[in-house]
Amino acid sequence: MQYQTDNNSYDALVIGAGIAGGEAALNLANLGYKVLLIDKDLTIGGKMIMLSKVFPTLDCSACITTPKVSEISRHPNIKILTSTQASNITQKSDGTFMAEITTKPRYVEIEDCTGCQLCEEACPVIVKDQYQYDLVGRKAAYIPFSIASPRAAAIDIENCTLCGACERACPTNCIDFTQTDKKITIKCNTVILATGFQLFDPTLIPRYGFGRFKNVITSMQMERQLAPTRPFNTVLRPSDGKLPDNIAYVLCTGSRDKTLGNPICSQVCCMYSTKQAQLLMGALPMADITLYYLHIRAFGKGFNEFYAQAQSMGVEFVKGKVAKITEKENGNLILRYEDINGNVVKETEHDMVVLSVGILPNVGIQELFSGINLELDEFNYVKQTDVLASPAATSINGVFVAGTASAPMDIPDSILSAGAASAEAANYIRKMSEINVSV
Amino acid sequence: MKNKIGVYICHCGGNISDYVDVEKVRDAVKDIEGVEISVDTMFACADSSQKQIFNDIKEKQLDGLVVASCSPKLHYPTFSAVAERAGLNKYNYVHANIREQVSWAHSDNKLGATEKAIQAVKAAIAGVKESISLEPIKIKSQKIVAVIGAGVAGMRAAKELADLGVKVYLIEREYFVGGRVAQLDYLCRVQETGKELVTRMYEAIHKHENITLFTGAEIIEKGGSIGNFKIKLKITPRYIKKDCNEDELKKAIEVCPVEVDDDFNFNITKRKAIYKNYPSEYPQKPAIDIKNCTRCGECEKVCSSIDFNQKEEILDLTVGSILTATGFDPYRPKENEFGWGLDNVVTLPQFRRIINMCDDKLIYNGKEIKEIAYIYCVGSRQVDGENKYCSRYCCTATLYTSILTHKKYKNIHAYHFNRGIRTYGKQEVIYDEVSQLGDIFLQSYEYDPATVEKQGDKTIVKVKDILTNNTEIEVEADLVVLVTGMEPRKDNSIGDVLKIPKGRDRFYNEIHMKLRPVETVIDGITIAGACQGPKNILESVNSALSAATKSYSIVNTGELALEPIIASVNEDTCTWCGLCADACPYDAIELINKNGKDIAEINKSVCKGCGMCLPVCESDSIEMSGFTNNIIENMISAYADI
Ligand SMILES: Cc1cc2nc3c(=O)[nH]c(=O)nc-3n(C[C@H](O)[C@H](O)[C@H](O)COP(=O)(O)OP(=O)(O)OC[C@H]3O[C@@H](n4cnc5c(N)ncnc54)[C@H](O)[C@@H]3O)c2cc1C
Ligand SMILES: Cc1cc2nc3c(=O)[nH]c(=O)nc-3n(C[C@H](O)[C@H](O)[C@H](O)COP(=O)(O)OP(=O)(O)OC[C@H]3O[C@@H](n4cnc5c(N)ncnc54)[C@H](O)[C@@H]3O)c2cc1C
Ligand code: SF4
Repeated sequence: MQYQTDNNSYDALVIGAGIAGGEAALNLANLGYKVLLIDKDLTIGGKMIMLSKVFPTLDCSACITTPKVSEISRHPNIKILTSTQASNITQKSDGTFMAEITTKPRYVEIEDCTGCQLCEEACPVIVKDQYQYDLVGRKAAYIPFSIASPRAAAIDIENCTLCGACERACPTNCIDFTQTDKKITIKCNTVILATGFQLFDPTLIPRYGFGRFKNVITSMQMERQLAPTRPFNTVLRPSDGKLPDNIAYVLCTGSRDKTLGNPICSQVCCMYSTKQAQLLMGALPMADITLYYLHIRAFGKGFNEFYAQAQSMGVEFVKGKVAKITEKENGNLILRYEDINGNVVKETEHDMVVLSVGILPNVGIQELFSGINLELDEFNYVKQTDVLASPAATSINGVFVAGTASAPMDIPDSILSAGAASAEAANYIRKMSEINVSV
Repeated sequence: MKNKIGVYICHCGGNISDYVDVEKVRDAVKDIEGVEISVDTMFACADSSQKQIFNDIKEKQLDGLVVASCSPKLHYPTFSAVAERAGLNKYNYVHANIREQVSWAHSDNKLGATEKAIQAVKAAIAGVKESISLEPIKIKSQKIVAVIGAGVAGMRAAKELADLGVKVYLIEREYFVGGRVAQLDYLCRVQETGKELVTRMYEAIHKHENITLFTGAEIIEKGGSIGNFKIKLKITPRYIKKDCNEDELKKAIEVCPVEVDDDFNFNITKRKAIYKNYPSEYPQKPAIDIKNCTRCGECEKVCSSIDFNQKEEILDLTVGSILTATGFDPYRPKENEFGWGLDNVVTLPQFRRIINMCDDKLIYNGKEIKEIAYIYCVGSRQVDGENKYCSRYCCTATLYTSILTHKKYKNIHAYHFNRGIRTYGKQEVIYDEVSQLGDIFLQSYEYDPATVEKQGDKTIVKVKDILTNNTEIEVEADLVVLVTGMEPRKDNSIGDVLKIPKGRDRFYNEIHMKLRPVETVIDGITIAGACQGPKNILESVNSALSAATKSYSIVNTGELALEPIIASVNEDTCTWCGLCADACPYDAIELINKNGKDIAEINKSVCKGCGMCLPVCESDSIEMSGFTNNIIENMISAYADI
């Protein structure tokens, strides 16, 4: 089946190595197709590898992601490039594609790095750790996180002072400051877009105080605090490191809000908040957890039962819209909200507030293509041009979409949509190879 | 007996070495007989360590491998692959879990943890010494897939498989294709009707050279296993000749005197015993419902295409994989449930058929309908009943139905008695649209839902509305629409024939929602669409395409390699008592007679090596390859020997 032999020629280019892209790549590779899987990040695994446990089954996210990730990374038919982006994707008259692939320097030779972390110890520069969503710091020479894949160091060149301490500490001499952008041009039969989503930026709602009040955090930060690779080994509130005992969740932060340009429901926040509430009940048995919601969207398989389980565990669900958050001197927070049940405006005090931020489409996907138009839908997600019969099809014949690049969705739905994208991609590859053989 | 064993002990960063003295473990086992080398490594799974293991196997010609690190669930495949790459049979590799089972479990006792780690590694070495190379069991697989159910999920999967070059038997129980979507007119958020979508899908399949469509057909028996399922198909004829005369058939339908409830319209109308659901329905040929036909012969008098001599057929087919897409039934309310039984209370699916049949005025039972009360979550999210789940499609479908009524008819007033609207994702815009149409929303909790009662000739719906401070609100409705959820098919006998397990919600269950979402525990049988749980069309088709990919990967090369760790029977000592066959959860054990003696035989392609048969065998005649008694006893002795 591998009729292509030269190096820069693949059956499929998969852009984005989150769970959707990874699953699609694996499906195609298992059918014998050669896949180039790229991600702009330093590691594959997307958002899922960062999560704590996942609803509605509460399996440990790392434990179900890492075997997938290692299966992907050792698959003989998959080539992975991290720190890599595609551009100038063009379609030839025979239906196949050309793409420019640019890999940014990591300043570390991945093959030679053993992940010993000695460079990390040696590096004197401390900056915010984006993989822990700014909860703690990291060095400028660093391994993204312990279950990153590849588990290799990288140099954050923007913050590096070029002091050379890491180079001296590295036992395998794998640090190389002379690396530059690597560019290759590849040929492929099909492209799968699995570029995922971005999180809503809560500073756009100033009345919630995120960024000003230390004890207002995002759900992704809470996700990190609850994960097995968590920074503190327990849940702490940022202002004083105290164990919180009265935590509030503000649902629909940045979703279902036309004034913010995002009128739709993010589809996962109700459930991940319900999940975090259950996990918090385990981690902090004495804590009270309250969710302020508009509607609880517990729609999927096992979800409504999961919601009922949280209620029976004692999680408080308050139907109300939070108008404003203010900070007290001791770091506690006052929530002013409209209680829909009583039709009155109420105020309550909590010692920590989690904003259940919504999910938004990634930008700049259209610009990956040149000479062909990738259409977006009215919400700026990749448009599904035949949404009922061919959910993975896009406005470009031969380009398919998987996961949250086309709509907000949870992990099970992302995986099923990746299955659909790989089925259609396999068929397209088959068509292309028939044409190529007959030419 | 292996005598050149390589032992690798992992620090796992500090995950292991913070609690276990890894160097001490390394030294404690290095002089054991048969151990060639014993080394410790920072991360055994890192590429560099893998390279070292690879080189050692090659250069030192190791014949056994022990890795002591994290759970084998994580990296068993990693090190198996290293062994295989280096030319060592992977069944000569034994894994010791000294992280989850040692360092993490005993972080309060470093000495004890180290001691336990040493024993665990010794046991692994004892196991590897007795290990035997095994080869995967290769079986031939039919390059054919049976797809059961020709709804949107089944048809879409069939087309994808056929395009990939696989032969497909598409098996539909009804005489017509399309499933529930054929019963829908307009669909939410698209410009296509349900019938148009079904037509489009039918056109893609019916002329496809790789697809054979059977209608009126059901699987009544299944044997064999992955790669070679043997299925028995019962086909009930249409009693209409192949080349039939359209006009005569129309007349035949007219003259048929038998009238029965029309299932297609959810029993709000009647149909004849010879019938077609709607003019363009596929296949475009009527059928005679022989159960209700009285054989009066009226149709034969006006139509030459009728043929009562057609016989039921039984076909034996062999397929490599079975893709199940048998869909759902709408919930049927119980007598008096939210007024069910009153002449102006209907279900949502019925209401959709009513809308389809009423052109410029909405009329039901001779009365024009203006005030509509929708009661949500009927048969879903039940507090007392068994359906605890949310049916997922219905909030959106109801809101969209309301939009349809406003578009089609004038002066409609709609009241939505809901429990919190669940228009997830992009469907939110439908909710917004309806809110702007002036519909009224009244909300209650699960435990205090709306009630429906007759007061004289009025139908009153009452609720304590939590949106207005629990005020009791009454609405007089011309028509009450019960928003019925999805349930597993009433006649789900196919699930029993195929032995597909069901979840708590009684829908078919996948192995793992995230890792293996379309596979069942029966190897080779996949599930798709609403038979697995409530889904809309998009979600059904996504799962159908995923299942098609999975079924394709089973049949595409024509050969399957199965895990060789399976049970085997000692023919000399077995005296067939049948206990093993009872214990086997996969029906892999059969009674055979060999040389005049009754013994148990294990079907290699069905056995999963679960080991359930071993402890029940009184004569100790069953062994598990890879985990022979010899290996296990050796390991236990090593563990116990301190
Ligand atoms: C706080 C929180 C908790 C959650 N909890 C759960 C849960 O418990 N259960 C559940 O089912 N779901 C949960 N989810 C949802 C889940 O995270 C998503 O369904 C899933 O991660 C989507 O995967 P994806 O592959 O589509 O996208 P992503 O994970 O976003 O992956 C996309 C990948 O593409 C890369 N990329 C983007 N653009 C480019 C480009 N131009 N070039 C190259 N690479 C690119 C990104 O770097 C990323 O690695 C949660 C979400 C959040 C925010
Ligand atoms: C009122 C209503 C409105 C809806 N509106 C929308 C909408 O606007 N948009 C949307 O996306 N979705 C909508 N849906 C949901 C949609 O109907 C389902 O998503 C879809 O029907 C699921 O398809 P399926 O193929 O899984 O199952 P089905 O449609 O149920 O098809 C299953 C097929 O299998 C056959 N079968 C069953 N058992 C056997 C057997 N033993 N052997 C052989 N064949 C068998 C059946 O006869 C049937 O043909 C609506 C549903 C309802 C009830
Ligand atoms: S989708 Fe809406 S109507 Fe249907 S069960 Fe769920 S909440 Fe009730």
